[in-house]
Amino acid sequence: MVKGYLGIDAGSVSTNLVFLDEAGRIREALYLRTQGRPIATIQTGLRQLAESLPPRVAVRGVGATGSGRHLAGVITGADVVKNEITSHAVATSTLIPGVQTILEIGGQDSKLIILRNSLVVDFAMNTVCAAGTGSFLDQQAARLGIPIEKFGEIALRSRSPVRIAGRCAVFAESDMIHKQQMGYDLPDILAGLCEALVRNYLNNVGKGKEILPPVVFQGGVAANAGMKHAFEKALGLEVQIPPYYNVMGAVGAALLAREKTVRGLPSSFKGFQVAQVDFASGGFTCDGCPNTCEVVEIREEGRVIARWGDRCGKWSGALAERKTG
Amino acid sequence: MSRKVGIPGALLYYYYFPLWQAFFQALGAEVAVSGPSTKSVLNRGVELAVEDACLPVKLALGHVAELAGKVDYLFLPRLVSVASREYICPKFLGFPDMVRQTVPDLPPIIDVNVNLYRRQNKLYTAFRAAGKIFSAGEARIFLAYRRGLAALGKYWKLMGEGFSPEEAINLLNRSSPRCPQPSNAARTIPEDGPAAASDKAPRPEREKPVVAVIGHPYNIYDPYISMNLLKKLRQAGVRTATAEQLPETVVRREAAYLPKRLFWTLNQRMTGAAFYFLRSGRVQGLLQVTSFGCGPDSMTGELIARRAAGHGDMPFLNLVLDEHSGEAGVLTRLEAFLDMVRQKQEGGRPG
Repeated sequence: MVKGYLGIDAGSVSTNLVFLDEAGRIREALYLRTQGRPIATIQTGLRQLAESLPPRVAVRGVGATGSGRHLAGVITGADVVKNEITSHAVATSTLIPGVQTILEIGGQDSKLIILRNSLVVDFAMNTVCAAGTGSFLDQQAARLGIPIEKFGEIALRSRSPVRIAGRCAVFAESDMIHKQQMGYDLPDILAGLCEALVRNYLNNVGKGKEILPPVVFQGGVAANAGMKHAFEKALGLEVQIPPYYNVMGAVGAALLAREKTVRGLPSSFKGFQVAQVDFASGGFTCDGCPNTCEVVEIREEGRVIARWGDRCGKWSGALAERKTG
Repeated sequence: MSRKVGIPGALLYYYYFPLWQAFFQALGAEVAVSGPSTKSVLNRGVELAVEDACLPVKLALGHVAELAGKVDYLFLPRLVSVASREYICPKFLGFPDMVRQTVPDLPPIIDVNVNLYRRQNKLYTAFRAAGKIFSAGEARIFLAYRRGLAALGKYWKLMGEGFSPEEAINLLNRSSPRCPQPSNAARTIPEDGPAAASDKAPRPEREKPVVAVIGHPYNIYDPYISMNLLKKLRQAGVRTATAEQLPETVVRREAAYLPKRLFWTLNQRMTGAAFYFLRSGRVQGLLQVTSFGCGPDSMTGELIARRAAGHGDMPFLNLVLDEHSGEAGVLTRLEAFLDMVRQKQEGGRPG
């Protein structure tokens, strides 16, 4: 019988699932587009994972991470719900011992994690601006009519990258259009865009951080060879891309689940059959006070299993009481 | 009928409210404070404020608007300077004028000047001017002023013991002397401080880490603006320490390590406290809260961040608050920061 740990990274753009065996080896890894339906995507992921794993599988622990980690947590009954920064750091420092810098660029988030002696000592995340994340690259690739998978390859053909204003995604786009209308070559524009995004990342997220080798680049955007090249050029350092670069958050969540349940504690995993269960989410605006919080409710087969979004804890707290009481 | 004086529960309310309250009450006036900050209070403030006002000023305008048709007077002292050769932020100085220009239906504003920049200036001058509105008797005004100062002294003493401003104000306004536990339970007061005795108190079995939370009181103690930061930290099993627990002498001594004296009183307090906590070895992490658009914060925030970086492995996080802040992003950062704090605590402990 295969025993192992399940990690789920419910991100804004992709939902990733991995299955680690007891030794911590990655047995299965799934990368799915969230497409605005996190619950359905997690269920699809579980179904696909159950199909690809041998029929008799014991899930010893489940970890959830990503911006949808709480959602993924209540749906699957995760043992650990952890933020993305810690999850990524755990995964990378386990798979690439000695790593000192992690560059992580996902769909809507970009992060920089600084480690020393395998411990996180500093980190930064993009704030209100999503310039330089995967969504923007996606959008530009679509606008230029090139598949996102080809983006990096084309950018690498550039001989003299065009300078593009990368401070803001909206202005970067106008600048790109301007350069394109001036007649610059597509590879030069794409390479220029990669360099602009890297510049923006290093100036915002990377402001004041000490970037030391080994540097690891992960997240969905690490698939883009143009971005890797631009990072190496800007940093003057070699940048490594781990084999499971696009599911590292999920790997970290699974490793954390292993840590949590290693003392023989039983997992609270609800089983792969949650893929068939009917989940619904809905929300309402609480009118109890002038804060008018938007409360979210998650229902499993019509029964409310979780609520959040209330500042005072009136709704989420009431549910927690009922559970324990 | 007694006249009602409205005091917005924002900005310097957190520093001086007990003084103001006791003063006006002693003169026979009724004191009304605006309610807690909420989304609608902030939205109202954002509507009223000029574009480049900082978040706390926007919020304060919302509080003023809430009081506007409900009180006979608004007390908005113009605090220019509260210490010799130091200033309060210029936005505070201009606040009564900002209010006059933006908030409709205003009652008369009591905007007495507090300017102690020159040593010979006296705080009483401002209170005397305010007191004249309510009483002709010079002696009565002076007594009210003394009563106010006494209340303020008690207030700071309570905060020194670890009570939050809200808890301290509630305690002062309660007649029966009960002794609840302060929420800021971390005792980080220096050597000879009044809390030295607390070491005898039974300690929790597992020592919870202490995180110093550095920021303007009107940011960190406002549950709406800070997104319940202090409560979240306590729920996460962390004790908190803030600048308000430290005596003035300590804060000033520590801030004096800077090559040039800071002339912003409020930021001097934050900076001095941060330096003290970093140096003391009594905290396991430093969490800095700055507000978007705050001029002094942008300067001292960087000074503190650099000092923290000099302390090598001290976990440090800078949270910037603005009216667009998503709670999700703040939570993610906070969780990762606390992971860092715990990791360090466990890693640093032998065995």
